[in-house]
Amino acid sequence: MSITSALSSALTGLSVTSRQAEILSSNVANATTPGYARRELGLRSAVLAGSGQGVAITGVTRSLDRALLAERRLAQAGDGDRSLRGAFLDRVEKKLGSPDEPGSLATRLAVFDQSLIEARGRPESQARLQTVLSAARSLADGFNTVTDDIQAARGTADRQIAEQVGRLNSTLSRLQGLNAELRSFSGAGRDVSALLDERQRLVDSISAIIPVREVPREHDQIALFTVGGASLLEGTAAVFGFTAVNTITAETTQALGGLSGITINGAPYATAGPTSPILGGSLGGLFAVRDELAVQAQDKLDAVARDLVERFSAAGLDPTLAPGAPGLFTDAGGAFVALDEIGLAGRLSANPAADPAQGGALFRLRDGLGAATEGPPGNGTLLAALQSALTEANPLSSTSFTAGIRSFQGLAADLHSDASAQRLSAQADQSFAAARLTALTDLEAQNGIDTDQEMQALLVIEKNYAANAKVIQSVQDMIDILIRLGA
Amino acid sequence: MTRVSLGDASLTNMLSRQSAALRTAVQQAANEVATGRRTDLAQSLRGDVSPLLAVDASLKRLEAYKATAGDAAFQTAAQQAALTGLSGLAEGITTTLLGSRDFPTPVQVDAVAADARGRLASAFGLLNSQASGRAVFSGQATDTVPLGSSDDLLAALETAATGATTAGQVAAAVINWFASPAGYETFYQGGAALNPAPIAPGEEAELATTALDPAIRDTLASFAMAALLDRGMLVGNAEERSILAQRAGQGLLTSEDRRITLSARIGTVEAQIESARTRNGAEETALGILRSETGSVDPYDAGTRLETARSQLEALYLVTARVSRLSLVEFLR
Repeated sequence: MSITSALSSALTGLSVTSRQAEILSSNVANATTPGYARRELGLRSAVLAGSGQGVAITGVTRSLDRALLAERRLAQAGDGDRSLRGAFLDRVEKKLGSPDEPGSLATRLAVFDQSLIEARGRPESQARLQTVLSAARSLADGFNTVTDDIQAARGTADRQIAEQVGRLNSTLSRLQGLNAELRSFSGAGRDVSALLDERQRLVDSISAIIPVREVPREHDQIALFTVGGASLLEGTAAVFGFTAVNTITAETTQALGGLSGITINGAPYATAGPTSPILGGSLGGLFAVRDELAVQAQDKLDAVARDLVERFSAAGLDPTLAPGAPGLFTDAGGAFVALDEIGLAGRLSANPAADPAQGGALFRLRDGLGAATEGPPGNGTLLAALQSALTEANPLSSTSFTAGIRSFQGLAADLHSDASAQRLSAQADQSFAAARLTALTDLEAQNGIDTDQEMQALLVIEKNYAANAKVIQSVQDMIDILIRLGA
Repeated sequence: MTRVSLGDASLTNMLSRQSAALRTAVQQAANEVATGRRTDLAQSLRGDVSPLLAVDASLKRLEAYKATAGDAAFQTAAQQAALTGLSGLAEGITTTLLGSRDFPTPVQVDAVAADARGRLASAFGLLNSQASGRAVFSGQATDTVPLGSSDDLLAALETAATGATTAGQVAAAVINWFASPAGYETFYQGGAALNPAPIAPGEEAELATTALDPAIRDTLASFAMAALLDRGMLVGNAEERSILAQRAGQGLLTSEDRRITLSARIGTVEAQIESARTRNGAEETALGILRSETGSVDPYDAGTRLETARSQLEALYLVTARVSRLSLVEFLR
């Protein structure tokens, strides 16, 4: 019977080579598909009744470096986290303004200082008093716009958290479905590579939001845990809960209940600190922006605004003011109370008593904000006092900066420098995270489809196919010979 | 079988990343060449922008001092000019008044008295002079001239000297009136002395001179004594009239020293303002140089970087083109 078995061996060879060609074509077609892992056909020699009977397929294997994949996922999460933080700090720095830009806080302050000196030189000049008022208003505006921007960034972060939480929930439930499909298919012994690819892509997208560890289970199942230790998928998918807030002001914080935290299956979890299970990815980055970085930036801005308000409402500076009355800069038109420091920068405004557009009069800048009638026009005493109030070194009453005695310009410079230094260090972190991700992505790409190699394999497959066909032809010739012998 | 392979995507990734990095470098350098400003100022200062801000704030302040020092200089110049005019008025009549006792006829006393009255009016005009809308001898009341009309002054003096029959009594009444708070100080319409004006960082110019200054007071008193004769004071007593005219001449002579001292004092302030302006100018230049050293880009450096990045990018394009043709598929046709 050996001629027939030669025939059947050659047939298995033919079918294996065509299967190899099929796999190869899939590899070449997916050369640039993200998440596609190279397939290979596992072969063994077929044995029937103790003797070799051609070649058999053991199955399709996805060649995948699991350790590298896990590393790359962590790096991707870290990169997302760092980019968000960096982008926010960059935004704050840009909003404060580069020192050489006309609209920056420092430039507005310098213009205000300049206007006070000029007004002091000619206190009777309406134009110069008007310049003082405009410069004061522009300085207050500067604080207002930076505050608005910081709070807008918090609002954006809040909405993005809600969106990412929604994506997490839908992806987790799809993963749960995929797990179930894989269980039934792999039990039936079918090629499940495409489903595995899809599952890998889904886990990748979760991992960018929260870094996860993938733990393989029997029958092609996986379980997912966050690096922080919370279980996301173990048979059933976890459900995240988060509620976005419509408007966020400087006074809204998570601690005071104004902002939503995160729940997993209904149980609340910390969104910051060592016990939080969700940190390390873009979700953690967004929470950091909303609850830490933006709050810190606002605190510093408020501290500077408070110093400005206090300098101009100091007792004895303007004898026409009643004790406790607001000075040149006010908390939304009223006097500032030390308890209201949070969000002061957003409410800062120039005193309406000096603003003709709000029923005030310009001469009050020169004669005192509480003055009822206009005094001698050449009196520069108060203007000189205002200018020295701005430049003299005072101890800082707020705790958001390191204690010390500074002029207001010094404090504003500290605010700018602090924003720049923070942005630069966040940028350094970010480029480190990005470099790590790049290196790992490169390694992954190196393990990807190499078309040159596939082409070489194709040559081998062609040759094998031809050889098997030749065997069949020869067997046929041999059988023909036998038949002719009988005739 | 151990496979030695390199995924296609690896090369593509690398090339696109490098070209992105190079294009960023080209853009940054091109921007710096075009604007002269650093793309990332904070980075070039390692995050500490306070030195740059201090320079910028000082430059802005110097701009303000340029304006205020100019104003102060204008004010002192106007005061100096008025004082020079006042001295000229006094000098032109002093000798004639001193010689009035030797006049052969009383009519000559009448003539010099009329001259003195005219000069008093001119003196008022000088002291009421304004510089860019600011009355220079009025102190803080910059919107009002310091003195009313000279006839009002003479009328007030006549009232003060009512009943005086000798030149000595008239002179004493005039001097008293000018010294008393109810007299000249009430007649003066200006305000308290001006505050010192800022002219340079930490430096102020004293602009305290008003029409109440003793030098001006004494000069006006002497002019007024002679001018009173023109309004019929001691009429009919030719002897006493000529004595009063002489007293007026003596007064003008003694007040000359005070006028010179006042003029010198204002001159000192003028010199101080001038030297402050010069220093401000020098400081501005120095700060400008410092500013461009810290905040601006060396165009040669930026240009070189642009050229380097450009040639690198061109080389990368060449490499991309060559490497992309390296495929087994090309050779299997």
